Amino acid sequence: MAVLATFKYEEDFLAGAKRVKSAGIGELSLMSPLPLEEAQEVLGLGKSPVRRFSLAGAIIGAVSGFAMAVATALVFVLPTGGRAIISVPPYLVITYEMTILFGVLFTLFGFHLVSGLPAWRDRPYTPESNVDRFVVVVEGADDADAARAETILREAGAEETRRVEDSQ
Amino acid sequence: MFDHGQPTYAEVNRDVLSSMLETGPRYWILLGTTMTIAGVFFFMPWIYQLIVGVGAAGMNRNAVWGTYLSNFIFWIGLSHSGTLLSAVLHITNSQWRKSIYRSAEAMTLFSLMTAALFVMVHVGRLWYVHWSFPIPNPMGLWPNFRSPLMFDVMAITTYLTASSIFIYMGSVPDFAAVRDASTGIRRRLYTIFSFGWRGTAREWHTLGWAYTFFAVFVIPLAVSVHSIVSWDFALSIVPGLHHTIFAPYFVCGAIYSGTAGIVTVMYMLRKFMNFERYIGQVHLDNLGKLLIVLSMLWTYINILELFTTWYSGTSFEMEALRFRLFGFYAPLYWEMILFCAFVPLLMLFKKFRLSWNKMLVISILINVGMLTERFIIVATSQPRKFLPDAFGFYFPSWVEFSITFGSFAIFTTLFLIFIKWVPAVSIYEVKETLTPLRRDA
Repeated sequence: MAVLATFKYEEDFLAGAKRVKSAGIGELSLMSPLPLEEAQEVLGLGKSPVRRFSLAGAIIGAVSGFAMAVATALVFVLPTGGRAIISVPPYLVITYEMTILFGVLFTLFGFHLVSGLPAWRDRPYTPESNVDRFVVVVEGADDADAARAETILREAGAEETRRVEDSQ
Repeated sequence: MFDHGQPTYAEVNRDVLSSMLETGPRYWILLGTTMTIAGVFFFMPWIYQLIVGVGAAGMNRNAVWGTYLSNFIFWIGLSHSGTLLSAVLHITNSQWRKSIYRSAEAMTLFSLMTAALFVMVHVGRLWYVHWSFPIPNPMGLWPNFRSPLMFDVMAITTYLTASSIFIYMGSVPDFAAVRDASTGIRRRLYTIFSFGWRGTAREWHTLGWAYTFFAVFVIPLAVSVHSIVSWDFALSIVPGLHHTIFAPYFVCGAIYSGTAGIVTVMYMLRKFMNFERYIGQVHLDNLGKLLIVLSMLWTYINILELFTTWYSGTSFEMEALRFRLFGFYAPLYWEMILFCAFVPLLMLFKKFRLSWNKMLVISILINVGMLTERFIIVATSQPRKFLPDAFGFYFPSWVEFSITFGSFAIFTTLFLIFIKWVPAVSIYEVKETLTPLRRDA
């Protein structure tokens, strides 16, 4: 079972979230119509692992970009005016572009992996959180915990609290 | 930041979504017109050229590059608007960017698509264009990565991919807003587009990090793309093109033309999409100041190019310079100087910088000048190579004029389709610029 509490004011929402967090009830999700650093702090979200994907992508891109240029030159030898078949300076340009291409693609992959998206299954949600309301969701709570969470959140200034099914 | 008072969060959703979801007859007439122009002026002449061959264009033995490539540079240049505004200003945390960056990013994407079309038009035998990609094939043929043209293929493919991802990922929360405000098939589509976004702190946190990394990757990419486009010319030994200044010259020109393009697009969005509330004087003022700086930088590089050519005293370079400044295309050169070096100085005066109509005219003139600049680079250099017996002349044919005109209709068509599929103003980033509602207010 999940408790879903809707707030009108950002300050009340953050206060409610902090109190539920310190009470240690269930698993906490905080939904807002815009990114809020304070909400991320409540959940203790620090540096995102996405950055590791970006770095890995950039390194893999650099290596594979240079390797591709060398390998294709060796497979399809094109002698031009006695110049080197493997010519490093122009290949650095290809390496540079591939570094960025793979960096971007790996960052995208990292985003999906870390955020858990796409997720089209049913999860506690209220569309107002994408307009002008702030929502605290407490998942995995039994009846007693759900009641406790509802009390805390109402005291913090929630406009409405309701119980819904947990994420499937 | 807001000319007509601060909107509420709900009003931001309503205003932006209504621009997407409510479509009047004026939109359909405009879309129909641009699609017809694109079909008649771009695609039909292109089909004609495919049938009769590239001889339909004005290019010849002494001038193997023409308007198609100058247009290619122009559209690539225009694409730098989105990168500058979105990525650079995102990293520097500029608040004023937030209302206008989505449209700027769309400009990037559609300019790039238009530019890519020009490569396909230029190559003539379109059906062999895949040979320029490193794809395994039965002939055992691989691209020559020592060639600047192959640098271009890699750079533009990367830029197109990165720009598409950049604009898409920044739009995911807004796709969720569209999903929640829609019904039927549109709702199902936007459910897929938004990946099931709920706006949780974890999702915002991950998106924020990923978006910053996209921005960090895209900035050097944009610089490299136009540097590489400049190397298509500068790495040759052709007089008038073989300059070390070309890479910064092209990058500066690209950002300059792109920023002017943003002013034009912002004017249209305000006028026809009712975004007066979100795109205001502060944006115009800042873009105007940016244009002044870019104009001066562009002028400086132009003077430097003339000076270094003159200082070298090389007869080949001097002939290319003479032809550019006083030859057949001299009127176009001086028109470019007027529009790109002198007209922008009007923006030093606040009454010009804060007037939408005046800024629209200036921004269009700048881009006319920039289109001319690219034409001059191509048309006055190749036909003046070294020995006089290799001298030639290039003048565009009706096919090239028509395709050039049609390309603007293609860009406009893509942009018109975009504004009905993606919120043209970022909903959540505009909300970030608003003062939060407080209980004690």
